Formats: sequence, C-alpha cells, structure tokens
Amino acid sequence: MLNGFKSVGRLALIGAGSEIGQSIVAKLVGEESPEVIRVGRSGDFALDVTDKSARELLVEKIFTKGDLDLAIIAVGVLGNNPGKSEVENLVEAIDVNYLGTVHLLALIAERMKIQAHGTILVISSFAQVRPRVDNFAYGSTKAGLDFYARGLAAKLHGTGVEVKILRPGFVKSKMTTGMAVAPFAITPEECANFAVKALKSKKTVTWAPSLLKYVAVAFTTMPAALFRKISQH
Amino acid sequence: MADSQPISGWGKNIHSRSARVSAANVADLQKIVAEADSSRGLLPVGLHRSYGDSALNSGGTLIDMVALNQIEIDPQTRIAIVGGGVRISELESAALKLSLFPPVVPGTGFVTMGGAIAADIHGKSHHKTGSFSQCVRRISLLLASGKIADFTPTDPEFWATVGGLGLTGIVLEVEIELRAVQSNSVDIAEERVKNLSEMVTLLERSDADFEHTVAWIDLSGDYRGRGVVSLGNYGNTPVKAEESLSKGPSLPALGGKNFITPLSVKAFNEIWFRKPLKNGPVALRKFMHPLDGVGNWNRIYGNSGFLQYQFVIDIGQEEIFEKLFAGLRELKAASFLGVLKKFGAASQAPLSFPRPGWTLTLDYSVEVPGLEKFLRNFDEELVSRGGRIYLIKDSRLDARLLPMMYPEFNRWREIRSAMDPDGLWQSDQARRLHLC
Repeated sequence: MLNGFKSVGRLALIGAGSEIGQSIVAKLVGEESPEVIRVGRSGDFALDVTDKSARELLVEKIFTKGDLDLAIIAVGVLGNNPGKSEVENLVEAIDVNYLGTVHLLALIAERMKIQAHGTILVISSFAQVRPRVDNFAYGSTKAGLDFYARGLAAKLHGTGVEVKILRPGFVKSKMTTGMAVAPFAITPEECANFAVKALKSKKTVTWAPSLLKYVAVAFTTMPAALFRKISQH
Repeated sequence: MADSQPISGWGKNIHSRSARVSAANVADLQKIVAEADSSRGLLPVGLHRSYGDSALNSGGTLIDMVALNQIEIDPQTRIAIVGGGVRISELESAALKLSLFPPVVPGTGFVTMGGAIAADIHGKSHHKTGSFSQCVRRISLLLASGKIADFTPTDPEFWATVGGLGLTGIVLEVEIELRAVQSNSVDIAEERVKNLSEMVTLLERSDADFEHTVAWIDLSGDYRGRGVVSLGNYGNTPVKAEESLSKGPSLPALGGKNFITPLSVKAFNEIWFRKPLKNGPVALRKFMHPLDGVGNWNRIYGNSGFLQYQFVIDIGQEEIFEKLFAGLRELKAASFLGVLKKFGAASQAPLSFPRPGWTLTLDYSVEVPGLEKFLRNFDEELVSRGGRIYLIKDSRLDARLLPMMYPEFNRWREIRSAMDPDGLWQSDQARRLHLC
C-alpha cells in the first residue's frame, strides 16, 4: 500500500537496463526510500522476457514476498539489430515488446487485483500513432501493447488497480544512439518527469512531451501522401 | 471480492478496498472465521477512528463488530461485562446512570471496546490510571482456530491482544472495572501559559492533585509552545448535559478542500489562546471528548487527508521539543491540534504506546511540503533518544524503526504467530510495517 503521503513502499522495474526506467526509479527514490526490485537480464530477479515460464515464475516471486505498489514495465527493443535480418528483428520485437510485455502486464494485473491496489506504468511510444516506413514494425508492437494496456485499464476500473500509459517521443538514450534525432526529443530524465506526472494523473495516457498529443492528432488526420513526404525526413 | 468503494481511516490519507461483512452474533463470527480465505485475511473493525491504515485490509475482509453491543453492569462489584462492539460513549451513559464511569476514556467517545483494546487507548488520566488495559480484568477472544478463549492479565495472550492492533483475534467481550463517581461533572481549572517550559512545569506540579491533566499547545506563529493547561477532578455538582454526543453540529464536506493553512491555524490558535478560561464544574463527557463536539471534523483537511503524529519521550529529554518546533517553523507546518500530556506508568503489553514521559500530539495535512521527510528524520532522532510513536495513529513509519521503538516487538510477534499460525488476521498496516 501507498503510505499516508501516497509514497510507494515497494516497486518493481521490469527492464532494469532501460534508461527511462532507471530515471523514473531515481525520481521516485529521490523523494522517499521504497524497496526497489530491479528485473533485468541478470541479478536477483533475472528474466529472459521471451521465456513464458520464466515470466510466470518471476511474477510469482515478486508477489510472494509482499504487496507491490508499482510496476514499471520498461521492456523493449527497437528491432534494428544490424546482425539480424529484417524478419528476425521483427520477430524479436514481437516476442519482447508485445508477447513478453503483454503477458507480464496480464500476470501482474492479476496479482494486483487480488491485493486490490497497485499501479502499472507501461512505457508505450509515439511510434504507435501511425505507421512510418522507418519504424512501423516496432510501432506495430507498441500499438498492440498500448491497445491492450488501454483495455486493461478500463477493465480494472474500480478494482483499486490502475494502468498508466506513457507515450514518449524520441528519447536520447542508448537505445537511440546513432539515430537521427527527431523533433521534440527529450532526455530520459525529462521523460521520467512525465512518468511522475502520469502516475499522479487521473488520465490513462500521458504523452512525453505533452505537445506530442497534438502532433499525434496532426499525424493521424494527415493525408497519406503528405504523411509519406514528411516522415521521410 | 473487494468492494468497489474504497474506505479510509479517520485521517482519510490511505484508502483501500475490502469485502465487508457484519456479524449479528458470535455464531456468525465463528462461521466467518471458519469459511475465511487466509490469502488476504480478516480484520475485525469498529468505528474507523484510527487515523491511518490500522483498520484497513486491502483485498481482504473487514468484519463489522458493532452488533456485539451488550452491556451488563453489576453496581455492587462495579464490574461491567461489555460486548466488543460497544462504544465507549455507550458504556459511559450506562455507567453514569449507576454513578460509575470507565476510569480510562480517550479523546473521542467513538471507540469500540475492541478498538480500545487493540490500541490500548489512554486519556487525560494516564498519569493516575495508566492505559485502558489497566481496568480490564478479562478479554474473551475468538481465535483464528475458531475457538473462543478467555484471557486475563496473567496470560501472555492478554498482553499481546492489548495494543495488538486487532491482529490476535476478535474481541467478543471485555470485563472492565468501573470507578465510582459522585456526579456527571468534572471540576476543572484552566490556566494560560506563555511557553513550553511554563507548560511543562505546570503539568508536572499538577499531576499529584488532579485526576485529569492535559495541555493544548499552540504550534503556530512563533512556536514557543504557549497554550492552555486544563486540570480536572471528578466533581460532585450535577450538571445538565447532552445525553448524546452526536447531537452537535457536523462539518459539511466543504468541497474536499483543505482549510488548514498556516494562516487559518494562526488565526484559530489566537482565538483559542484568548478564549475565556473555564473554572468550575463542566459535563464529564464534554470534558473527556472535546473532539466529539463537531461531527466529521476530519473533513476540514479536505480530500487528500491528514495525519496525526503522536510520540512519547522520556522526562529529561525535553530539548527534543526545541528541535521539533524549530523544524516545524522552518517547514511552515502549523498544527491545528497540539496536545501535551505527561504519561504515568506503562502497561506490560509489548505494543502498548504509553510509557512514562511526555507525549505530544500534532495534526498535519499531508500536503505540507517536506513533512514526510521531516517526520522521517524526526523518527530517527526519537529512536536515538529512546522515544516512540503511537501505532494506531501511524500511516507513514519506516518499518525498520518499529523494533527499535518497541523493543519487545519480537516477543509480541512470537505470541501472535502462535495464536494465529496461518496468518488469518491481516491489515494494511501489518503489511506495511511487517508486523506479522
């Protein structure tokens, strides 16, 4: 349970390697000192996101040791590994960003429903707004995740469990090193500020930065020919 | 299945969802216990006057106890046999008709017998009478096993239940030794003091002569600790008094806004400090339960809620107050309700709060910036000086500090787990502070 000041007592960062995830945890820990479970490729809570039974075991392990107030789901790959073919990259992105993440989301939601409280923060992406030639494979996995998370948020309404979706635009991090910096780019720290805002917000979806909400409207209503032109940089 | 409407304690700062069941009698309770699913557990609850999460059980079940409402008093022996759901104020009414009164009553009459045991409540008479458990001769408890057992002060289970936050079983019945009173009044004397040291001196000097002592302390403005000391003894002049405490005005919802700001507190405290002092007989229950004069007074803090912070510190450690006041002044944290009292002897209960020393109670909106960190640091200071906080009012203690504040905590835990090996009794506070 959150304490009387609504501070988190126990949280899990799924995707300990994520710079956005780390920045969010740093912000939350800066205020108070919750117990933090870091789920990454190694450590006490190691996880291969693509392994179904490993996901089940992990969630079991987290919740047997106590209630969880907040789960930050920051797992994801861009699917641009030069050592792999386009199709292999696609399958990996689906496995990690969609299948693995959505499964974790569903498992955590189930456990939080039993405790009748808790928040899940899902890191979605601006890339899910409209398919762009350069990142639609990644965008499709985030679109699926985002869609599921919104449905889950609605389903859990009134149970004490909340799902919050953060949709960052371009974040200057390890993950995007070497890529052309897109407009409205932010740092992981700036992104974390929006995550904190998302956690306090009554709304399910928060954009990072906020302006992207309007850019998304422009993107989705734009004629295809114009969209093709501007999305080629 | 949890109820979709979250509920909170009196401080309205923690909300959680639970299934709620009520029991009409002991057989009902036994059925509830027998059929319980221990994954999120059960918790007996009363009137939700605890401030934080002591009476919450997210995802579990709360058992409403108010149906256990029988009161039997033997005027000869002064022994009352009272159901676990009986309110202190109901017991007072019944007792007063026989010129009797519970020797220990808290600042509100809206506390059930079960709650009074679970918190080992105290009142203005603590320096003379000790805490509530000192007038309890027997507790009848429904255990997790479904069995009913009687415990007396010679049993460790008795002392684990006293102050045990409802985590040892359901208090079905208590046997209380009442005291004789001459009338329904208290003869009071009030005195204004300019600062904390005057207050401390006056309280110390008055303890021998007065059955009830308490001081209202102004923690706003210059935080020097000016205030009004109230002293009282059971009187023999009958006074006209309201039969029911709940007939007074009740605070409306006020749109969920917090009205407690440094400015409003300062204004209120200025008026309060200068109000005419009372001297002479006043109604016993009005004197005992000043908080009950205005119903729903907790609404004044708005939707985000507030907390009550109460600690005790040894005599001789008064300098901690200077540190506290300086810190609060810096935070611009003004307290609407500051109360200072000198405690007498402690009870044997491992988790009972009162022990010899000074106890100070403060109310704050949880929206005061920096308050969480400040109290966390103050807790550390308190622990280093051997002090502790009152758990029934807690909503934010660091679990690490609890065994340092309550050195017999592990003993309590052992007795408790022997009484409830499968962990049937649970609460949000128990989970937050790793009590079980």
